[in-house]
Amino acid sequence: MAMVEVRSEIAGAVWKIVVKVGDTVAEDDTLIILESMKMEIPLTATEDGVVAEIRVAENAPIAEGDVAVILRT
Amino acid sequence: MAFEAHLEELKIRKDHALRMGGKEKLAARRAQGVLNARERIDYLLDAGSFIESGLLATSHRPEARDKSPADGKVAGYGTVQGRPIALVSNDFTVLGASSSVVNGKKIKHVKQVANDSGMPLVLLGESAGARMPDRMGAAGRAILGQDPIEYLRDRRTPWVSALLGSCYGSSTWYACLSDFVVMRKGATMAVASSRVTALAIRQPVDAEELGGWKLHTGTTGRVDLAVDTDEQALDAVKKFLSYLPSHNGEPPPRAAVPEGSDEPITRILDLVPESRTQVYDSREVVKCVLDASSMFELKERFGKSLVTALGRVNGHTVGVIANNPKFRGGAIDVDACAKATSFLVLCDSFNVPIIFLVDQPGFLIGLEGEKRGAPGRIMNWMNALSLTSVPRISITMRKNYGQAYLNMGGGRNSDEAAAWPSADFGFMDPGTGVNVLYGLRQEDDPERFRQLVNQIAQDSAPWPLAGLYETQAIIDPRETRSYLKDILRVRFRQTTNGIGEHRLRCWPTSY
Repeated sequence: MAMVEVRSEIAGAVWKIVVKVGDTVAEDDTLIILESMKMEIPLTATEDGVVAEIRVAENAPIAEGDVAVILRT
Repeated sequence: MAFEAHLEELKIRKDHALRMGGKEKLAARRAQGVLNARERIDYLLDAGSFIESGLLATSHRPEARDKSPADGKVAGYGTVQGRPIALVSNDFTVLGASSSVVNGKKIKHVKQVANDSGMPLVLLGESAGARMPDRMGAAGRAILGQDPIEYLRDRRTPWVSALLGSCYGSSTWYACLSDFVVMRKGATMAVASSRVTALAIRQPVDAEELGGWKLHTGTTGRVDLAVDTDEQALDAVKKFLSYLPSHNGEPPPRAAVPEGSDEPITRILDLVPESRTQVYDSREVVKCVLDASSMFELKERFGKSLVTALGRVNGHTVGVIANNPKFRGGAIDVDACAKATSFLVLCDSFNVPIIFLVDQPGFLIGLEGEKRGAPGRIMNWMNALSLTSVPRISITMRKNYGQAYLNMGGGRNSDEAAAWPSADFGFMDPGTGVNVLYGLRQEDDPERFRQLVNQIAQDSAPWPLAGLYETQAIIDPRETRSYLKDILRVRFRQTTNGIGEHRLRCWPTSY
């Protein structure tokens, strides 16, 4: 078991958070939808796991490399 | 019986070699659910087709002769789905399949035969690196580097590596020279083992972190595919080979077209959102375009904003490079550049036509990319693309912005260009274009902003490009597959039977 940090790959704003703490997710499932480059861009799970923590709020700005979600794998 | 004593000795020697590293080591592997070197060969090759080369080879050092059956690397030839290959299967139970004088000769020999006869080379990796004490001192140095083309990769035939255990030394080097690398989860690939590395840098090193599947499929891109078992890895080797010719002097083999292959494309309008702000997983589009279940994705976890996949259209092998808006909005990052370039090298070297499916907002710009040399990667890609001689077809589905338009086959960088009516050939998003060109933000003057956005969007619609004959066809998305069938037939190089010039054959495998 390990904690995995899911980081934003792009700068933008958090548009929608689609998972909640405790949800089971598979690799490539959408966790959060960001708004960037005039698009709705999903931030996806990097590995299979359970959502342990969500570090961002809707409408807040997010920078490239910011940790958005922690998964327990 | 004449020759009786000779034949008896031959039998004794063969039996000894076939006992490999001994019962205990073989039993321990079996208990872990891991195949041994000979079981792997049996699983990979058509039944009864194995022709061994060097069964009675051993260490040249007298004291190691009896404990080095086949000198730790089982080599030979056989057939996979009826097609000949050459192979080396590392036997970790024999001195860790460490590299020695004699087993180096075995690798060199089968590699040469693969080249001379036009067969793929398959390397089943699991090796400890240099054999000690053979490699120590002046005598050790004098056995190194005796073959000046040991690590030359000129892609005359496909090379495939499976990483099936601890891989250091030759297993690692050959994987880095291979066209396809599959790794069993739990295997590791690194320059040196975690034990040696830990001693060198004086801190604990975790083998998985040092060279596990997550590192190599997600970060380094050195591994194309990770699987759970030896059997799955060997199945992947067979599958990869099924798309490629045996050597670069012939076209890829033709396969039957599965029934129902024309069905999925009829639903394509439901897969791709019309709105440019919404994303989708372009792998679903790729599947619709290709023959049913023929999509074989390479480097799925690396540079995810761009998909590279082998597949078939009408039974003919093709290589697909598709942007994937699901990741980073399809913006092309440094990893995606490396992935696209290595895929061009693969396709061009083995006479595989390339299809670009384009929906990209440009290169991902930012500090991270610049630090990693993004401009150089972008030009490497263009240089590779300029050297390709296989047919290249580009289809613009939605966005096709910026310089990346050229990388995705824009202008004369593809042989045929088609576009969907939804194609958008702007230099950037129309809204951003208004910001940049007119210094106007939406909140400043919403009405004027809207007018200017519409004006720019009109300019970048596919119709003017079709008018200038810069795109040869505007197609209904549902016609994409039939268009590809037609145009691949038109573009087949009949004068050479589809054989290209292979100007990328010596392109570095891991620049």
